[in-house]
Amino acid sequence: MKYQIVIAGIGGQGAVFLVKVLSIASALANQKCLGTENHGMSQRGGSVSCYVKIGDFYAPAIDEGQADLLIALEANEALRNIQYLKTREGTIIVNATKEFPKLAYTTFTIDAFSKAKAKEFPIEALNVYMLGTCIAQDTHFPFSLTQIEQAITQMNPKVAEKNIAVLHLGVNDSRSHV
Amino acid sequence: MKQILMGNDAIALGLIHAGVDMISGYPGTPSSEILGNFQKYNTKFKLNAYAQWATNEKVGFEVAYAGAISGKRTCATMKQVGLNVASDALMSASYLGLKGAMLLVSCDDPGFYSSQTEQDSRSFAKFARIPVLDPATPQEAYDMVKLGLNISHLFESVVMLRPVMRVSHAREICEVDDALHVEAAIGHFERNIPRWAAVPPAGRFRQGREQLERIEYIKEWNWINLIEPKIKSLYKNNILCLTSGTGDGYVRETLDELHLDADVLKLDMPYPLPKEKIENLFATYDKVIIFEESYPCIEEQLSSPKLYGKLTKHAHEIDEFSKDKVVDTFVKVGVIEPRNTYKNEKYTEELPKRPPNMCPGCPHRDVHYAITKVFKKKTSIYASDIGCYTLGLNQGAIDILLCMGGSIALASGFSISDPDKAVVATIGDSTFTHSGVAPLINAVSQNHKFVLVILDNSTTAMTGRQTTPERTNPAQVDIKRIVEGCGIECFEYVYEQDLNKTVNFIKSLKKVYETANAPVVAVVREFCVLDKELVEGRLGNAIVSVDEEKCVACDSCITTYKCPPMHYNDAGKMEIDPFLCAGCSSCLDVVCPTDAFIKK
Repeated sequence: MKYQIVIAGIGGQGAVFLVKVLSIASALANQKCLGTENHGMSQRGGSVSCYVKIGDFYAPAIDEGQADLLIALEANEALRNIQYLKTREGTIIVNATKEFPKLAYTTFTIDAFSKAKAKEFPIEALNVYMLGTCIAQDTHFPFSLTQIEQAITQMNPKVAEKNIAVLHLGVNDSRSHV
Repeated sequence: MKQILMGNDAIALGLIHAGVDMISGYPGTPSSEILGNFQKYNTKFKLNAYAQWATNEKVGFEVAYAGAISGKRTCATMKQVGLNVASDALMSASYLGLKGAMLLVSCDDPGFYSSQTEQDSRSFAKFARIPVLDPATPQEAYDMVKLGLNISHLFESVVMLRPVMRVSHAREICEVDDALHVEAAIGHFERNIPRWAAVPPAGRFRQGREQLERIEYIKEWNWINLIEPKIKSLYKNNILCLTSGTGDGYVRETLDELHLDADVLKLDMPYPLPKEKIENLFATYDKVIIFEESYPCIEEQLSSPKLYGKLTKHAHEIDEFSKDKVVDTFVKVGVIEPRNTYKNEKYTEELPKRPPNMCPGCPHRDVHYAITKVFKKKTSIYASDIGCYTLGLNQGAIDILLCMGGSIALASGFSISDPDKAVVATIGDSTFTHSGVAPLINAVSQNHKFVLVILDNSTTAMTGRQTTPERTNPAQVDIKRIVEGCGIECFEYVYEQDLNKTVNFIKSLKKVYETANAPVVAVVREFCVLDKELVEGRLGNAIVSVDEEKCVACDSCITTYKCPPMHYNDAGKMEIDPFLCAGCSSCLDVVCPTDAFIKK
């Protein structure tokens, strides 16, 4: 299997956390995984883009036209990174309102900011919420809900329960959304 | 056992498994997590190793190097521009050699993600005449740490490991040893004056000769151990790709995905290379293409009319690798026709830029704001330094940046060259102790007239809040007393979340400056909003909102104060994003000319 994911967001939104979860999930699924993260300067509220390459890869970065999935924690950061998607085949899962522009990719929008504002989940868990959305909406997503749950637990057992609850909320919200 | 590791974590673990019990360095992206992770292992598993941040890279190098002279296995970590600081020690250490083993880890940053230069540490190793290993992935970085320390011991030379950002901050499932155990060895310094205290000309001339001989032996070792075992897989195609580090991954993926036929020879040790032996491999090939980043380190060591690379303008000379750049090179060399496999359309409409910014609630913002309010732009020069406060650029509060500690001597220089302007320099506490003291002594002794504001948040914030000397040992190391020791008064302001007070403090400095004939130095005692220990109780005390009646959309707040929660809403009025606001209350006064910011 080969699956390439770009995670886009704003520094502080927890894109790196998703790289960690997805790499643990790869190990649980017996897949090779190569990821890359942003640290330092870009952590201070700037644009962040991380890559996860699952399967037989040798280079950590993703080129334009290569990603199967773009997980965007914010709308403009999604638009800033669409060139990394496979032409026509790529999928975008984005935290955005319905006003998100129509693009030549399978796109699923969910307004996670509004849900966080309505206190449905804490804003710090927006990344996990969006991961739940991916499990429900990306038909080619390479991991099962159970594998992601295990990965989240393995990463930090102390807060796993809370994170898994938000993960489920993401899965269920996006299913009822359709 | 298998473990999912980030490159820098793999390096830290490799150091422990290679028996390193003494490590020092200075933080800098992308290298910071190596020593940080080593410290975590050291504490968690009670390893009893020495693992401490030094005041700067040169100090860190020298501490570790003395350990290696005494027979211990040691390491120094830094980023590529930190190597510039440590270079004086490195150049001589390469003559003297060592008894134990020492790995110098210098992390590069192709693509300028968090660095002011794109320099190639491999080329620095070549300049210093020490061997360098260039890993492509976290697994390789782990393996090369052990290899590097063995080579270091074998040849009594410092060995460099050069991971780029895409290795240091890559994450991979790695195969690593199980044990976590370090026997902290006692070193023994053996007196050998002709070696350790070699003086020019005769002593150093002899060591220079030895250095040249040593490099010849290492070339041969490189051939026998790292290159020759790989040549069995060659001679299948007409094209040979010589690769180093991450370049190897990009080339292999491109060849796979485009179904191209070419041989690949990865050079694990890109310096020193056995020139003739490698060139002999070229005989059966039509073309030999070199893929390396960021300087032509390999290319400069070889010569053949068959060679294509950066020097021949066939490979990219700036920015980080990509498969598209590999394709470009293949096209330029004439191996394939142009193709758009790794190109795709960007979103065509303009997107709002999102540059990094200081955190909401950060005291640096208030100090920068106060400086630009009190010292007017037209008649001032704002010199600053390397750290979070560099992001004062967003507030128009910085005119020049050079390097670590550069602000103070630049201020000296501007005060001489453009005396009609007021020069205001800003520098962080960690940067000040790193390389700010020597230029301050210079300025005091020569009576240079400028204002220096030391922003003391008592941590190395930008790179992940590593401990500073002041924080570790407040009773001994204090910035105010350092300044006083340089022979000058140090004004002090304990930061408050009241912009009036901050502005008034800067006004008081201006008053002193007007009649001064020497540097006017102040320390502002701040805190980092990410520093749980110091920030306790300071944030979340005020929920700020905007009185839309009063807001005249003058842009003043978002140009001079520039706090991330501030943005215009659909009605064209300022709005505070409640998710981003830290509740520091600083913006309630001074910032808005019409007093539109109100406490909810």
